[in-house]
Amino acid sequence: MKNIVEVNHFKMVFGDKTVIQDLNFEVKKGEIFGLLGANGSGKTTTIRALLGLYAPTSGELLVDGKGYKPEDTEIKVGYLPEERGLYRKENVIDTMVYFGELKGVKDPYGWAMKYLKRVGLEDKAKMRVEKLSGGQQQKIQLGITIMDNPKLLILDEPTKGFDPMNRKLLMEIIEEHHKKGAAIVMITHYMDEVERLCDRALLLKDGTARAYGTISEIRKEFGGKSLDEIFVKVYGDQNEQ
Amino acid sequence: MSSSKAILKVFKFEFLRQVRKPAFWAATLLIPLLIGGIYLISFISSQGVDTEPTLDENTKVAITDEAGIFSAGMPFVIDGDKEVGVEMVKNGEVDLYFYIPADFAESKKAEFYHISEGLEIFNYDGNILKGLLSNDAVSRVGELDALALTGQYEIVDNKLTGAGEDANALGKAIIPFFIGILFFMFVALCGNRFLMTVVEEKENRISEMILTSVSSKHLIVGKILAMLALGMIQVVAIAVPVLLLVFFNRNNSLVGPILAMIEIDPAMIILSILLFAVSAVFYAGVCTFVGSLVSTARDASQFIGPAIIAMVMPLYFMQMFMMTEPSVVVQIMTYFPFTAPVALMLRSGFGTISVWEYCIGLVVVAVSSVIAIKFAVVTFQKNAINFSIAKPKFLKK
Repeated sequence: MKNIVEVNHFKMVFGDKTVIQDLNFEVKKGEIFGLLGANGSGKTTTIRALLGLYAPTSGELLVDGKGYKPEDTEIKVGYLPEERGLYRKENVIDTMVYFGELKGVKDPYGWAMKYLKRVGLEDKAKMRVEKLSGGQQQKIQLGITIMDNPKLLILDEPTKGFDPMNRKLLMEIIEEHHKKGAAIVMITHYMDEVERLCDRALLLKDGTARAYGTISEIRKEFGGKSLDEIFVKVYGDQNEQ
Repeated sequence: MSSSKAILKVFKFEFLRQVRKPAFWAATLLIPLLIGGIYLISFISSQGVDTEPTLDENTKVAITDEAGIFSAGMPFVIDGDKEVGVEMVKNGEVDLYFYIPADFAESKKAEFYHISEGLEIFNYDGNILKGLLSNDAVSRVGELDALALTGQYEIVDNKLTGAGEDANALGKAIIPFFIGILFFMFVALCGNRFLMTVVEEKENRISEMILTSVSSKHLIVGKILAMLALGMIQVVAIAVPVLLLVFFNRNNSLVGPILAMIEIDPAMIILSILLFAVSAVFYAGVCTFVGSLVSTARDASQFIGPAIIAMVMPLYFMQMFMMTEPSVVVQIMTYFPFTAPVALMLRSGFGTISVWEYCIGLVVVAVSSVIAIKFAVVTFQKNAINFSIAKPKFLKK
């Protein structure tokens, strides 16, 4: 199977509001895929439905050919959600070990200590999460996301709140996983990141795909404009309406 | 990962993180310390005070004194034999009747007859007899009196009962009531923890990360098991000091007679323990469901109030539960899941429930526990990422 993600005729309705309307796309194995759109366009809803957090109104969302279930260890997915949090009263190492055990990591303690050393937080291992800065907590969350070496990494606004140095570190880590063969789905508002990193992208507006394909295909479709300009044009049209 | 492994991982994390907290041990040890403190105060204050029960002036007493230890002409000494005295008790002519046989000096045994009131806790027959002798200023001085006055004799307690009445209702009630009290302790100590264990995921905005690592079913079951284990530690921490206190005071004038009264009905004790277990699981399921329904601890406390009120509701109707023939209200409370735990405990304590009725109630609570946990799992899955919405969303798609 070439695709790690397949979304077919996905529709999502909350109450009387249709959030996603007949959405179709796929993410190929090993590629970096950009999921783009303004706030409220349906990006996070799509990811939540893909990971079984929401039941779709209709359609199918598959990860490696199956509906995602966390207990299925054959499909390893790392998800860094936009709404991030940790057990604030627990210490860093216990939290990481807990997630590592849930994800089936063989030596979660060893892995966590190695990771903490790499991101400069080894001295914080026994510290309560609530004592860490926001940026430090994000590094812990990223560590938890990647600790079982997932085949599919879904990162919702991964660099939000990061300073340039940590953003660089994060990009390095993402790049490493990409080189190992993981497919990466990035939800971001930074179009420069998408142009630089992504192989393909999907631009959502009001729950429908407005642009989909490789970056060059999308640019070609919109007359060679940059992704920033395309974004403004798609959403500008809405403002004009 | 297999279901049991995933549940075990959640259990281990949730159990250890609570058990490592000083607050957990402070709450656990506070109650035994309070019990010890109250015992110490009552012990100190009772020193030098005559706590032996005295005979009410309205109590009518009769004695057949074949041994002749009372002086002649005492008003309570009757001419009739034992049969006459027993009949007087049955007819209500007297409240208490003592039979002192002719061979009292050798046998050192007297007999005591009274109508059982079911729940009397003072076995004060010996004191009454001693009191009567002490008041008998002209009673015969001698070996028999000394024997009687020092209380070095055995009195065979014969509780008389009417048709359908239980002579040792208290004796049978002690163990079920003790288990009932432990259940209340469990609810009081664990309720908030059950709520918070799921609300915390939402308040810390960790639901998405956790639910993509473990299924909501495994998460909730693991959490409930961990909280149950913690609750059991606390219950044991309360029960053990109480039992030790009872053990070390087993010869005490108050505790001794109560212990002697305890009647062990193995079937009811097993059922009571089972009821404790399924009721704890049911309560855990309900609290976890409420926690899954709401977004914050404050919202949770609003919802859990009615559930707790329903649970203690049978206590407000206590008198109804004492009746041998259960009323409709009692029947409803016995089989309504929220009131059933306490209703069953009361009825078994008062001896007003048969084993098969108890079993039906037990099954109702057990099935309700499974349903409550299933609701909690589904609700948590559907509601876990509604971080800012207090309104229940579980009914919506």
